[in-house]
Amino acid sequence: MTERFAEATGTSVIGGAERRSAKSLLALVVPVLVVGMLLALVPLWLGGSRVLMTVAILGLAFASYTVGFNLIFGSTGQLFLCVGALAGIGGYSAAILADTVGLPIVVSVLLATLASSLTGGLLSWIAVRRSLGVIFTGIVTLIFALAFENLLLGLGALTGGENGFLIQSGRDSFLRSRVPAFYLMLALALLFVVVHGLLRRSHVGWAFRALRDDEVAAELAGVNVARYRVYAALVGAGMLGMTGAIYALTQGRVSPTTYGFAEVDVVVVVMLAFGGIGSLFGPILGAVTFTAINEFLEGFGHLRLVPYGALIIALFLWIPRGLIPTVADWVRRRRHQQ
Amino acid sequence: MTAIVLDGIVLGLQFGLLAAGLTLVYGLGGVLNLAYGQMAVITAMTVLFAMNAGVPTLAAVAIGLVAGGLLGLIFDQTLLRPIYRRQGEARVLLSLLLTLGVAFMVDGFLNWRYPTAGLGLQISGGPIEVLGIPMRRGSIVGSVIILIVFALLFVFFKGTSLGRAVRSVIEDEEGARLVGIDPSLMLRIILIISGVLAAVVAVTQSMIRPVTVTAGFSITVFALIVTVVGGLGSVTGALLAGIILGVVNSLATSFIGTFLSLIILLVAAAVTILIRPSGLLGVRE
Repeated sequence: MTERFAEATGTSVIGGAERRSAKSLLALVVPVLVVGMLLALVPLWLGGSRVLMTVAILGLAFASYTVGFNLIFGSTGQLFLCVGALAGIGGYSAAILADTVGLPIVVSVLLATLASSLTGGLLSWIAVRRSLGVIFTGIVTLIFALAFENLLLGLGALTGGENGFLIQSGRDSFLRSRVPAFYLMLALALLFVVVHGLLRRSHVGWAFRALRDDEVAAELAGVNVARYRVYAALVGAGMLGMTGAIYALTQGRVSPTTYGFAEVDVVVVVMLAFGGIGSLFGPILGAVTFTAINEFLEGFGHLRLVPYGALIIALFLWIPRGLIPTVADWVRRRRHQQ
Repeated sequence: MTAIVLDGIVLGLQFGLLAAGLTLVYGLGGVLNLAYGQMAVITAMTVLFAMNAGVPTLAAVAIGLVAGGLLGLIFDQTLLRPIYRRQGEARVLLSLLLTLGVAFMVDGFLNWRYPTAGLGLQISGGPIEVLGIPMRRGSIVGSVIILIVFALLFVFFKGTSLGRAVRSVIEDEEGARLVGIDPSLMLRIILIISGVLAAVVAVTQSMIRPVTVTAGFSITVFALIVTVVGGLGSVTGALLAGIILGVVNSLATSFIGTFLSLIILLVAAAVTILIRPSGLLGVRE
């Protein structure tokens, strides 16, 4: 209670490096609103073009994916290379539940979210129980992602195989018109940022920072590292699944490439690393930037991978921590000098 | 049954060779080279262009091997410099991301410039009988080459003092430095070997089916899985894991069906990692 009071009044019970996290709720809400309002202007600018609006919606889906991945990897150090697969579990579950089983759309989306969340939690639980390191968690989840892709191709009767299938549910609803779909996806991305921000401000956030900084020390200090990792995976994977489900409904179709490893995971890792691993708004910045770059380079076909690759190399060589933490540090240092 | 197992062994040898080049670099340098498949593709294209230019096949293959070694050397001298400055998981992560960037660049360029190119080496002559089963000549020649390469690797690592020096760095970098071994020189040697191995992968694979410009990613993924199952830094482990996974894949394909076989392969790999995180023959840290 005292902590919350301290946070609400803007005073800090803990000094130094952690002061940022203890700032008032405004420090979370105001940037979210500002970012939200800026992004809300996008349809005014692109609204006339259905193609560009579709790109923008995909960009927002990626923003949400990256927030979910950031929660799992950035906050608790679990390299989940199955972002696409978890989103795909959401997307395919929602589509199949709504179309084949005939459940209402909202119920389908919620069940799909639950399915992804539990899958992510299970993967995390396995990784934690076997105490796999970052790289091995990455490889096991990569294997899971590849298996999922093959399962989609193999279970053609249910999933439509390579081509996927068109979703009939919600065909005439607002989900299929671009501008409302854009705002729905924007609201989702902002909601996830707020959830992540609130988690970081709560005692869960303290546990996250402790176990990220030094796992053994955190364990010794009484933080149940295993439990918080699984929590993060449950919440993060739920975000991925919900995004995958809602995105599928706004597109009216699902296909393996919508959730492929090369199409989703690689991009999400790059977006997060660009924006800043572990930072609250890094995912949004990364998603917006790379969606724009990708669209700008669209006309070059395969050749666009070349500047993309060069950019990745340059980024990690010169600003390995990502843009937001690097700039934030620079600003803080400037302020200290004055 | 024998035919299925033999098929599996042929595939397994390919898997094992894939992993060998990756596992050495990972075991020694803590560098996860995600551009490994692209290295193989570049050497395949080198061989292809040399052959198209009228160079005899054997000479073209030799050029490919040299190109592979050069690629390894270039990697070591440029991209890996900043990676070596880091330690532990930060090193693995940075190497993973930087080599991913390289993989993108190579894939993007090759797919744009030569979208339909593919290297296929025809081995003339009819099938050869092994244990009463007729096998394609290309598979047999490829397998024999792979076995010879593995034999050479074993001789190098067990029999020569240079190879022993390399192994000492894999086991304990500080210790090796203390007895006067230069780890960065050993790394350079390993990267050159890894590049040559990538070229051998390209050549032997092209004897069974064409190596296309798009093959890079799947080569890397299989190499990664076999590497992890075999244990990081262990060439024997790579060979063993390759053969086991190859036979598993072949059995699953014939008894269960093509689409599930890959999933079974992946599950087998995942289970191995979960039971023995250090791999079949890896050193437990």
